[in-house]
Amino acid sequence: MNSMKITLFKYMSLCLSVVFLGACAGPGYGPIVEDLSVQARASQRIPLATNNVLGNETNPSATDTQPRKPVELEKPKPYVVPKAKVTITPQSSPSKVVVAPTEKNIEVVIKQEEALPPSDQAVVEQLLSNADSLKGQGKMAEAVIQLQRAQRIAPREPKVYARLSALQLSLGEAARAEQLALKGLTLVPNKKRYQYYFWKLIAASRSHLGNSKGEAEAIIQADKYK
Amino acid sequence: MSKNRATSKSKPNAPEKWFSWVWLFKLATVLLVLGVVTLIYLDAQIRHRFEGHRWSLPAKVYARPLELYKGQQLAVGQLDYELTQLGYRFVQSATDTGQVQKTNQGMIIHSRGFRFTDGAEQGHLVEVILQKNKVTQLRQISGAAIASLRLEPQLVGGIYPSHNEDRELIQLNDLPNGFIETLLMVEDRDYYSHYGVSPWGIARAMWANIKAAAVVQGGSTLTQQLVKNFYLTDQQTLWRKLIEAPMALLLNVHYSKEEVLEVYLNEVFLGQAGKRAIHGFGLASRFYFGQPLNEIKLHQVALLVGLVKGPSYYNPHRHPQRATKRRNLVLSVLAQQGVISDVQKTQYQALPLDLSKAKQVSRYPAYMDVVRRQLQQHYPASALSNQGLRIFTSLDPWVQHQAHIAMVEQIDALNQRHGKIPTLEGAIVVSHRGSGELLALVGDHDGGYAGHNWALDTSRQVGSLLKSVIHLAALESGQYNLATLINDESIALPQPDGSVWQPQNYDRRSHGKVPMYKALTKSYNQANVRLGLQVGLEKVLQQLSEMGIEQSIPAYPSVLLGAVEISPMQVNQIYQTIAGNGFYSPLSIVRQVTKANGQLLSIFPLIVRQAASNDAVYLLQHEMRLVANEGTARGVYRFLPKQQKVAAKTGTTNDQRDSWFAGFSGQHVATVWLGREDLKPTPLTGASGALNVWGQLMQHLSYTSYEDIKPETVGYYYVNRATGVVIPNGCPDGIDLPMVNATAPPINTNCGY
Repeated sequence: MNSMKITLFKYMSLCLSVVFLGACAGPGYGPIVEDLSVQARASQRIPLATNNVLGNETNPSATDTQPRKPVELEKPKPYVVPKAKVTITPQSSPSKVVVAPTEKNIEVVIKQEEALPPSDQAVVEQLLSNADSLKGQGKMAEAVIQLQRAQRIAPREPKVYARLSALQLSLGEAARAEQLALKGLTLVPNKKRYQYYFWKLIAASRSHLGNSKGEAEAIIQADKYK
Repeated sequence: MSKNRATSKSKPNAPEKWFSWVWLFKLATVLLVLGVVTLIYLDAQIRHRFEGHRWSLPAKVYARPLELYKGQQLAVGQLDYELTQLGYRFVQSATDTGQVQKTNQGMIIHSRGFRFTDGAEQGHLVEVILQKNKVTQLRQISGAAIASLRLEPQLVGGIYPSHNEDRELIQLNDLPNGFIETLLMVEDRDYYSHYGVSPWGIARAMWANIKAAAVVQGGSTLTQQLVKNFYLTDQQTLWRKLIEAPMALLLNVHYSKEEVLEVYLNEVFLGQAGKRAIHGFGLASRFYFGQPLNEIKLHQVALLVGLVKGPSYYNPHRHPQRATKRRNLVLSVLAQQGVISDVQKTQYQALPLDLSKAKQVSRYPAYMDVVRRQLQQHYPASALSNQGLRIFTSLDPWVQHQAHIAMVEQIDALNQRHGKIPTLEGAIVVSHRGSGELLALVGDHDGGYAGHNWALDTSRQVGSLLKSVIHLAALESGQYNLATLINDESIALPQPDGSVWQPQNYDRRSHGKVPMYKALTKSYNQANVRLGLQVGLEKVLQQLSEMGIEQSIPAYPSVLLGAVEISPMQVNQIYQTIAGNGFYSPLSIVRQVTKANGQLLSIFPLIVRQAASNDAVYLLQHEMRLVANEGTARGVYRFLPKQQKVAAKTGTTNDQRDSWFAGFSGQHVATVWLGREDLKPTPLTGASGALNVWGQLMQHLSYTSYEDIKPETVGYYYVNRATGVVIPNGCPDGIDLPMVNATAPPINTNCGY
């Protein structure tokens, strides 16, 4: 009986080791990026990202420490992508973007916006009003999306820049707000109401940034169009 | 040893038994253990595969949605093209979703709707009234006016998990009428009653096939087919064949019939498109018909179900007759089984295959390259490929289509004219003037992906394109206006290494004192080098960096003539800043990223940053318009109507190694580069090479007339063309030029002579 047990044991261990090895074998994983074009010269195609790096699962917006280089023919000069973006971190509660404490003059400025003339395209007015109601619901990112749609449709419509600038200012992004207002200014020569409004926005933004000299200059400019 | 002798002595003449129950028992136990262990292994394997395929979702990359609104100007053929690419069917009467009906005045579109990040856009039945490709009215058939209609965005690519397969996930409750019946009737009649394997099904199938003398029914169940599909990429070894049945049984034990069916519908292999495998009915419906699965009709359903047996053999693109026969066979089976009537069968069989008319060869490789790079800076690899992220980009399919055609056709024409130019390559970058979004990207000479993205990864000398920056720096200084005289005499500059740099004009002549605008329109090298040195090389380089060129550039005078290497993408960035009235907006490609359920993860907001004063840029823009009207870029009006305002600059490098063209219209900024990969001279200048590509591209993009917005501080002055002096309006040989009022010179009453 002993010899039978030994043989059985040998067989079992053999089987188990085979099974174990088989189970351990598995395919390597790595993301493949593919476009929907039919590859006319597929044989010449260099594989794209083949790095097998499993990154952090936590925050998908976290920037990687190492830029991943695709396999290329020559050493590429990396395309410097704009760093600017607003990331909405997923939260359990309905997304609330933290609004910077609005200073009094910002609120005043934003109220003055009501006095601006309507834009001359129905679709733009619709998008602006959508943005307004989204802003009222606290959905800031969605409001920005509406305004940017309007800006693409009517890039010369000053009211869009006025709203974008005011929105960025109320989010505490004063530098962005200032630049958007400056761009808006280039669209409204001889339009006093807009010029006044944009200079007030610039003054409020500069105040927020601690640029008191710039703020004073902006106030002087605004007064010209009162 | 002694024991044996003892045994053999005690039992003499007894034969050695080769068969013993004990031995059999041992064998049986071993086999049983083996079997159990194998079953456990198979169980783990099948569950791993099932769950893995069920839960990993590839990321989807979308182009920009086409938004129709009153007052919108479209290009000729654009709306038809985009609707076709989206799989809309042109019919007599648009009764169903995904149909378009042409009318005398325009179209009636039954749109599909889409869950956008800023809210769901419902499907609408909308009438679009067009006049010369301009939307003059937009209203719902029900009567209510609507401000805009957003069509669903075209899917342009994806980022897949390791198994490198594309999916368009479908759910059981979202199937077209008759789909399940057709599938089960043909492939697995007893699906809901068997245990994963159906011996009765096999027998019946064999009988039916013998009777029909054709493969009418499949013998393996859907469950077994699913198991086979999991291993399709591996060899069909004997081992695989043996384990198929037990794995099917195990699947049936762990998962409900609905769950298995749903995964089957998303897994079954239905075709191959080059390197791309088509898995699942959702994707197959898109691939063959260009339509979502829930939209297709029974004859199309029959084709897809028929493909299960042999997607390559019955490939409708390669073997349309075979495919039609197979489809009709499926329809016959349905009629036989009473799912449809004989009349219906005849009607359906008479229909054509109804494949998609959308061009399968849509080219986006260079664009997808940039998307990937931008995303990889913000998202780890696994999040990108497994979580079903939805990535909304600014790609404009129409602009991309036209850019691709322009590149291919014009390079062809150039090869015809000059004899084949070896290793000629090219790149096109197109962006939206207002927002800086990237609309289209062509990365090589034929839009295919040869592994190198010339728009991004190659920097070439930019030649005369740099002159625009010199002029901007000059205008910024406040000490120059467009009429200021610049000396176009020869100039010799000793270099640190002892040599002398003596740049020549293209025509090898000097032109004396010329007004500043003329130095740009004629692209005089000598005058521009003098201007650049007067303004200050450092100032010019500073201006360049303000406009978005981040690399550090050594301050050699030759930089003034563009002896500095910049990629087409970055060149477009420079001209985008000029077109943006001096405001730098980074060229961006991704608008938003959301989760699979629509939850917003990131947005990329509009950023502007003033890089030059409004006055100076306005003057430069005017100069560049003159370059197109009467300067080196005037060839562009062979392609465009004379009233279309464009601003442009040509660029040619030493020995004509590079041919550049950069410019903008009211809506678009575009940069074209042509050059040889081996860096040898070409027969092309900017005006005779890249210009043609640019011209053809712009010709096919939508155009609305526009007025540049003149700053209050600028006025127009009538100026003597030769001497640059401001003269009264009655004088001859004058040109209207904008100038900053505060520094405009006084009028010379002698007509400037």
